[in-house]
Amino acid sequence: MKEVKEKSLRAQSCLDDFSFRQLPLLHPLPSLSSLLPILLLRRKVLAMRLATTFFILGAILGFPLAAFAQTDKQMEAPKTPVAPSALSHDLSGVWMQYPDGPTPGVPGMNAIDERFRPPFTPWGQARFDAARPMQGPTAVPGQENAPTLHCDPDGPPRVLNLPNPFEIIQIPGRVLMFFELGHVWRTIWTDGRALPKDPDPTWLGYSVGKWEGDTFVVDTIGFNDKLWVDVFGSPRSDQMHLTERYRRLNHDTLEMQITMDDPKAYTKIWVNPPKLHKLEPTWEIAEWFCVIEEENAYSDVIRKPAGGISTAPNK
Amino acid sequence: MEIEEVKVVEEVKDKTLRVQLCPGDFSVPLLPSLPPHPALPHVRRKTIAMQFASALAALSTILSFAPVLSAQLGQPAGTTQAQPAATSALSHDLSGVWMQYPDGDVPGVPGMNAVDDRTRPPLTPWGKAKFDAAKPLVGPRAIPGVENNPELRCEPDGPPKLLNLPNPFEIIQIPGRVLMFFELGHIWREIWTDGRPLPKDPDPTYLGYSVGKWEGDTFVVETIGFNDRLWDDSYGNPRSDATHLTERYRRLNHDTLELQIIIDDPKAYTKTWVSPPKLHKLEPTWEIAEWFCVLDEDKAYDDVVRKPAGGAPASNK
Repeated sequence: MKEVKEKSLRAQSCLDDFSFRQLPLLHPLPSLSSLLPILLLRRKVLAMRLATTFFILGAILGFPLAAFAQTDKQMEAPKTPVAPSALSHDLSGVWMQYPDGPTPGVPGMNAIDERFRPPFTPWGQARFDAARPMQGPTAVPGQENAPTLHCDPDGPPRVLNLPNPFEIIQIPGRVLMFFELGHVWRTIWTDGRALPKDPDPTWLGYSVGKWEGDTFVVDTIGFNDKLWVDVFGSPRSDQMHLTERYRRLNHDTLEMQITMDDPKAYTKIWVNPPKLHKLEPTWEIAEWFCVIEEENAYSDVIRKPAGGISTAPNK
Repeated sequence: MEIEEVKVVEEVKDKTLRVQLCPGDFSVPLLPSLPPHPALPHVRRKTIAMQFASALAALSTILSFAPVLSAQLGQPAGTTQAQPAATSALSHDLSGVWMQYPDGDVPGVPGMNAVDDRTRPPLTPWGKAKFDAAKPLVGPRAIPGVENNPELRCEPDGPPKLLNLPNPFEIIQIPGRVLMFFELGHIWREIWTDGRPLPKDPDPTYLGYSVGKWEGDTFVVETIGFNDRLWDDSYGNPRSDATHLTERYRRLNHDTLELQIIIDDPKAYTKTWVSPPKLHKLEPTWEIAEWFCVLDEDKAYDDVVRKPAGGAPASNK
């Protein structure tokens, strides 16, 4: 009980601490307008469902989806005057998502944007159908099977999308990323090595990075297929080639764009709009491990009652 | 006495398979000759070597020989001999991938004695209760089928046990911090070297809160703020939230890192637990691989290897 309380407080404080007063201007999300009719239609349906379910929970986990059901303003963001060159090649620091999603004051969780997801392959569709997320339109309280519920390690790209800070450290030959969520760290090799030919599948994959102009481009392959790419159950196959593109737009702002080429799960390349992160110079990455007993207790005390499920532990 | 030995060996056997699953390859043939283990007189080493040749060495096991030793050695080790290190001008660069020397008593096998059971002080009543409740996977107290090691639930490992397990770690030094990356569990920790003091009342964590500073050629790491969910070693010796852990590192030469672990835990032990220094070898060609503890895999291992080996029925954990 105590642990559960700490957990929710922690998430809360993440949001409370967030200072979104200094938002820079953004260039618009590319080609979003072309999807507008579909999105509007979906949003309305979603909004009705979500209003009666997820919002009531007041859960922190649920709001990004609810939020994106309400948005319109996001697409009108004005153009950003990004300097054409001479951006810093130092990505070091603790970074936190800007609340540039549709809900003011809330981190976006849209570095992976469901609205741009291509159609599934049959394999991808089967995986998606088998996924029981904790939030979103396909969530069924009490039946969730998100990998995080059994404390599977989180990995890219999902770990990049969750509303928790990460730190980047650059050392010769490597860029290291430290995620508060799950205390996960990953290595991006920058010593010029090539991607491995036939890597063993892993949670984090094998990553190499290089600078293309002012953009730090990270390519990752060698994933296992046990994780999702987002919180909604979109699958990640072992065929995924993930590309992350980072630019330090100014001292306080890091732009990240995520592109997923996963022909086993999706019929096209999934290109997400760029997403902004804010430097948090006073933050330090805290210890936050996924511990199975705490996760189960959280399910019993908060998640299941919120979904109308008996609180009797059955795990 | 004889029967006891056989039992221990059998229990060790199932652990062997687990160790073989480890991603690291040990470069045993390249090991240079080392001075004798500082805690063990030469005579003892010979006796032990003979016993092990017929038993443990045949199993080619890596884990759990330290407790076998402690079951056979009547007394804790004596005073630690000073390492023949240069008196000054050792490198203050600890960077690199380090792996325990096989300077334990089984040739070619990592020592697992940085936390040395033989030098453990008596337990307090609190410590004794915790110790009695612990059902380790290895050692003389292991009972197959009832183990309750924290790692069986994939709890994150932390110091000092993490420093004692026979897996490589990497040290990276950056301004204000020393980072350690452990292959086991894919754990990383940070040791603050920016001069900050230890926190007054830290929240209990798996890794604790660590600060480090150089004292001459020794890098001294102080850690407090542990939770009491982990063990200090593989044998169930407890770690309380009152633990003040001290690690002392010296880079004796380019290829050798010395680590000494001192555990001051008045809640669990009646005295400070001073383990003898332990050597690590630089592995310049190694890279820390991904090795997460994954609950499903651990349970599968339970069913396929551990429980059948212990005569317990599969499943139901």
